[in-house]
Amino acid sequence: MTPALSISHLRKVYRSGTVAVEDISMTIPEGEFFGFLGPNGAGKSTTIHCITGVAEPSAGKIEIFGIDAVKNYREARRLVGLCPQEFNVDPFANPRQIVDWMGGYFGMGAKARKERIDYLIERFDLVPHQKKQFRELSGGLKRRVVLARALINDPKLIILDEPTAGVDVELRRVLWRYLAEINRDGRTILLTSHYLEEVERLCRQVAIVNMGRIVREGTKDEIAGSPGGLENAYLIATGAEPDHVAGQ
Amino acid sequence: MWRGNDMNRPMGINWIGLYTMVRREASRMARIPIQAFVAPWISALLFIFIFGSVVGGRISQIGGHKYLEFVLPGVLMLNIVNAAFLQASTAIYFSRFIKFVEEMLVAPLSYVEMIIGSLSVVVLRSTVTGIGILLMGIGFGATHIESWPMFLFWIVSVSAIFGLLGLIIGLWSKSFEQLNMPVVFFLTPLSMIGGVFNTISMLPAKLQWLAYINPFFYFINGIRGAMIGFDEAPQKLGIGLTLLLLVVLGGTVWRLYSKGYGLRE
Repeated sequence: MTPALSISHLRKVYRSGTVAVEDISMTIPEGEFFGFLGPNGAGKSTTIHCITGVAEPSAGKIEIFGIDAVKNYREARRLVGLCPQEFNVDPFANPRQIVDWMGGYFGMGAKARKERIDYLIERFDLVPHQKKQFRELSGGLKRRVVLARALINDPKLIILDEPTAGVDVELRRVLWRYLAEINRDGRTILLTSHYLEEVERLCRQVAIVNMGRIVREGTKDEIAGSPGGLENAYLIATGAEPDHVAGQ
Repeated sequence: MWRGNDMNRPMGINWIGLYTMVRREASRMARIPIQAFVAPWISALLFIFIFGSVVGGRISQIGGHKYLEFVLPGVLMLNIVNAAFLQASTAIYFSRFIKFVEEMLVAPLSYVEMIIGSLSVVVLRSTVTGIGILLMGIGFGATHIESWPMFLFWIVSVSAIFGLLGLIIGLWSKSFEQLNMPVVFFLTPLSMIGGVFNTISMLPAKLQWLAYINPFFYFINGIRGAMIGFDEAPQKLGIGLTLLLLVVLGGTVWRLYSKGYGLRE
């Protein structure tokens, strides 16, 4: 079966000379819920940017459902939805416009777009806020808009770069339920998060990245099952000191 | 039912994506109607008043045309150039600055579609600006159109040229200061000395060559020919130069987009 995402020896060096991704290879089967962990600056977002076309890979190969994400970028991109870490949104537009334009870029017709927007606006409790300017919304509401935008094209591969950063507990739980639901429906999800609880709760496969390389990979049960759980495994893999060591 | 993410469906031209780019920018223009349309129209109205009533009466006719008739096509072209350049450069720069350009980068839009989408909006804004000025000119009895096809050719092609130039500057700029530099140092001076207010023969003989190497001269000469039938250089030469610039600038912008210059990290 063709994997949802296959990355082979990805390397990304920025124009400044900074090596953001040294050598990353990983495969995510279709239908997987994949946690991509690592400290700030480890290369998670850069890897995501290379997958989605926001950054140009310096070397290596990325395939989305078997389609080369660089050579056949249009075919590959229509299968992906990205919820980025930053709010890369026109601050003067309203949530409905933001989601609508994204649907348009994906080539969705007006009727399909309207149905999908109505569903997402309702699902993320944005109805009372749909005509407000994005800049007027709270952090949590902004996050909901960006999530709705990522899902407008009903993507087969959903990439969420710290989607619950700065949101309240209630929305986090709403989002968790929704992500679990669409994953059960067969959508593949790649999630980065600093909340290990979130990863433990949702993901079945986990990769830990540090300094541009994957330093540990396996099932969540394998990694979280080691002494000290996922947090301990994460700290050891990233070279930080686990609590019991730091406390000595 | 939406089946756009069906891998077995071949991807043709993303017409809806293109139309969305136009819709989106039209909505941005609707937020700034004074800057986008009212300002150039008021400026043109002032030109009509000054050159029609105040100065025009003291200047003899040029090529059988009143001075206002002679000046108005140049004023119209000035505003088209400004509208095209500002639309293209600010739209791409603002989207880079706020980073919502990433919305297009992650979407199934080809580079050519992105460029055509941007240029469509540029042509739309310039055409609305130009038609507004034309209507004012006609309303005041200050102009007419000799050739509609040539009038449209000059509006569309010059808009596209300065739209492409605006895209290059918008991709290159790292600050609002840089974004304004070409307007201050090149566009305004070259357009002012490109024959908006004078014929070449009015220039000192030693400086006339400056007009001939200034592309603005051919644009103004072209639209003046299309509007009032007065020209100082062969129209074919201007058309050839315009098409050449379109090809060169179009190729440059396509190259920049495909390399991700200013767009991708």
